[in-house]
Amino acid sequence: MFTAALFLVPVVILLSEGFKVGGEWSLAGYVDFASKPLNQKVFLRTLKLGFLVALTSAIIGYATAYCVVNLEPRHRGRIFGLIVLPLMISPVARTYAWIVILGRTGIVNQFITGTGLSDTPVRFLFTETAVFLGLLQLFMPLMIISLISSMENLPKDAIAAARVLGANWFQVFTRVILPLTKEGLVMGGTLVFTGSLTAYITPAILGGSKVLMLETLLYQRVNVANDYVSAGIIATILIVMCFGANLVLKRVAQGRSQS
Amino acid sequence: MKRLVLPVLAALTASLVASPAAAKDKLTISVYSFAQDAYKEALYDPFEAICDCELVIETGNSVERMAKIEANAADPVIDMAVMSSHDALALARKGLLEKLDVSKLASFDELYEAAKDPVGDNMAVGYTFYASSIVYRSDLVDIKSWGDLLKPEVAGRVALPNITGTQGPLTLHMMSKALGHEGVGFEETIAAIGEKSDDIVTFYVRSSQLAQLMQQEEVIAAPIGRFAWSRFSGSDLPFKWAEPVEGQTGGMNVMLMTKGSKNQDLAYRFMDYWLSSEVQTRVANAKIDSPANTKVEVSADIADHLTYGADLINSLNMINPADIIDNRDSWIEQWNEKVIQ
Repeated sequence: MFTAALFLVPVVILLSEGFKVGGEWSLAGYVDFASKPLNQKVFLRTLKLGFLVALTSAIIGYATAYCVVNLEPRHRGRIFGLIVLPLMISPVARTYAWIVILGRTGIVNQFITGTGLSDTPVRFLFTETAVFLGLLQLFMPLMIISLISSMENLPKDAIAAARVLGANWFQVFTRVILPLTKEGLVMGGTLVFTGSLTAYITPAILGGSKVLMLETLLYQRVNVANDYVSAGIIATILIVMCFGANLVLKRVAQGRSQS
Repeated sequence: MKRLVLPVLAALTASLVASPAAAKDKLTISVYSFAQDAYKEALYDPFEAICDCELVIETGNSVERMAKIEANAADPVIDMAVMSSHDALALARKGLLEKLDVSKLASFDELYEAAKDPVGDNMAVGYTFYASSIVYRSDLVDIKSWGDLLKPEVAGRVALPNITGTQGPLTLHMMSKALGHEGVGFEETIAAIGEKSDDIVTFYVRSSQLAQLMQQEEVIAAPIGRFAWSRFSGSDLPFKWAEPVEGQTGGMNVMLMTKGSKNQDLAYRFMDYWLSSEVQTRVANAKIDSPANTKVEVSADIADHLTYGADLINSLNMINPADIIDNRDSWIEQWNEKVIQ
């Protein structure tokens, strides 16, 4: 009871800020927030990047998890350790590394100019691409771990049986692997999507104010404008998006298993 | 035994009773988080040594510190604070500041004129100035005007301060001059920046972030405050401080006292100590803050890191704090609409 109060009371107070305008209860704050083109753009960008990071994590995560579970046990431990390793490094350090990697003189641009793909360095920093890569690197291990956990419970002969019965690899994935690993996908998808929506450091460093996302906009509203109404609204939107993502993923998984 | 116990008990009781009376006076100050170790050595410790008092230091960003002063207006928990001049004016307009009795500040007459009453009605007194200009790579580009920040030669290699920071409005002020726009609405200037938004690498928030971007040649020109110049002047790369034809801009940080502070005498003593030429010289030599006291003399090497000297300080194109307070919301709205979009 005490713990619930400890967590819930501040959240309720924070969320209620968005419904107070000039001391009166009102939805005017939400209407005003939604009517501003910048807020609309930031909302859609946050949703888009969260979705793309979760989708890309799932694609790479399945391939990685499949390879890892099929390794010999002695190699599996080492590879699993490498996957987990980034989670032990501060997100600030990991994100700052991207500034060096993606900079004009970084290795990506050295490769691009060195191979003649472009005569001049390509600007990656402070673009959506940079934020996407930073978030992907930050959260993909969570998806891989979730999928490895699910794939380890996959019956060893299921894939071979499907292949013997004439299924191609796409059918094996959609008819066998996906239904049997849906719990891992829902868990990983929720972690990656909600993590991407709520991460502050990576969008702040790699996107700056040119690639505002909801969490960086929230920081700006609180720490620059002292505008707790907008901050409460953004916090509410983020919480609803996180719960919404979890519900949608569960529905999709349920629908798939019923079909 | 009884003979021994009774005197010991009496001594203990006396010490317990006496301790509240012996407690030192406390002065709670609210300051920027910046360079606190250096301030401790140059200012806080020497003051505590002579005042027989205890300084309680509260740090944070301006918004947090202003919110705390406002939230505790009925029973102030902060006695004295340092802020930008426009933040001080915002507090003064809300009736949260005590009018200063400048006769209690012995160093007051030694201050530059601009520092004596920066927000009006003696609600604050300036303790440091900072110039702002453009730092650039002299081997790659030549910057002679604030308008050069939008020229094709630096397209894709220039950073501007975000409007939400202190440097943002200063940059708009000077770019408006360069582009020939009058007034402090900055509509045309913000629109001009918006048109070139894709040519600007980023709108930075912290000078530390900018230093890294300039070190790795991502950015070759950007407006900064002189307080951040040391991050560049010590580099192996040829960074230069621009002296644009429109001049340099700048700002001032001020000291203020909260309305109803219970330690006003001590606060005056501390403010006067900080404003004295002795302490201002020490702070300047530590390269923490530029002096507002005209009597301060520092070497040319130290002066290079500071905003120093009457000629420079009197030439700064500063924005009236009232103009910042009155227009900031409009600037942010226009910025978000035309530049960030």
